[in-house]
Amino acid sequence: MASKKRYHPRPSLTFNMAPMIDVVFLLIIFFVLVSTFASAERIAMELPRPDHSQAINVKLTDRVIINVQLVSPDSPETSGVAYSLGPNRPQSLAVISERLMQHKRVVSDLKVVIRADRRVQYGDVREVMEIVAEHGIQMMNIVAYVGDAGPNS
Amino acid sequence: MSANRRHPACDDGVVHFRPRRKRAQRELTSLTLNLAPMVDVVFLLLIFFISTTTFERAEGLLAAQLPKQGSFADSIALPISPIIVHLEQTGPGPTDYSMRIENFVDHPTTFSELSKFLKGVQGNPGFDDETPVVLKTAFQVKWDHVVGCWNAAVAAGCKHVSFGVE
Repeated sequence: MASKKRYHPRPSLTFNMAPMIDVVFLLIIFFVLVSTFASAERIAMELPRPDHSQAINVKLTDRVIINVQLVSPDSPETSGVAYSLGPNRPQSLAVISERLMQHKRVVSDLKVVIRADRRVQYGDVREVMEIVAEHGIQMMNIVAYVGDAGPNS
Repeated sequence: MSANRRHPACDDGVVHFRPRRKRAQRELTSLTLNLAPMVDVVFLLLIFFISTTTFERAEGLLAAQLPKQGSFADSIALPISPIIVHLEQTGPGPTDYSMRIENFVDHPTTFSELSKFLKGVQGNPGFDDETPVVLKTAFQVKWDHVVGCWNAAVAAGCKHVSFGVE
């Protein structure tokens, strides 16, 4: 009598990728929603972090950013100060003044945003303010962190 | 009919009934979606985002009004008696600063106190939120304190905050 043969398919050893794809998509969606591409004009520095900051996150048009940063941030007490207009390399105040004048000729209601390191002295920022005022620019904006003060404040 | 022409599935000599639907299913080619390229792209995006993302605190702007023309020092025209806040640096530490308010007896020691003080003053006769607040700061004061002082005035609802000369 012929033996009874039955076809038993071998269990497939495929890798179930569905949960992994779920997680990966979740991460992708998180990063896409959260990411904002940093502007090169915003040079990395420690900004002022006032208590109960009233700073608001607004996007200004027709504005220039003047960065006031420490030359050697590791030793703020002895460090000098470097000025730069937007993403440019550090420049003298005379050059910045010249550039500001050129911008002002093109854009009449130019706005200036001052990004200064929290550890620089007021006198260093004051020089920038004087240049801005000399060119008849009235709208100046000070950059600070949004939200409450951080742990280092 | 020849005995040699048996159905392949009928080796045991028994003809098993297989419905037409099942026969058709076996003949269909598999219509699975090849996920490999999509997973490649998704992983590429994930690695890009993970490697490029740096989490930063959000920056915001505090609006400030500057004088219209000419020298910064002499161009502030004050319409009514302003509240003049003097700010000085007393040491290198983060809390080493002192404040003094002209013509007032009370002198707040922190920016939170300054904010409360300015709010309180606005209720007095002759003062309101339109009263100018002039921040006279010594050149040695840390910018963090200047912004803190400015922020306190804005938080108190003062509409006209400006820089003055110490």
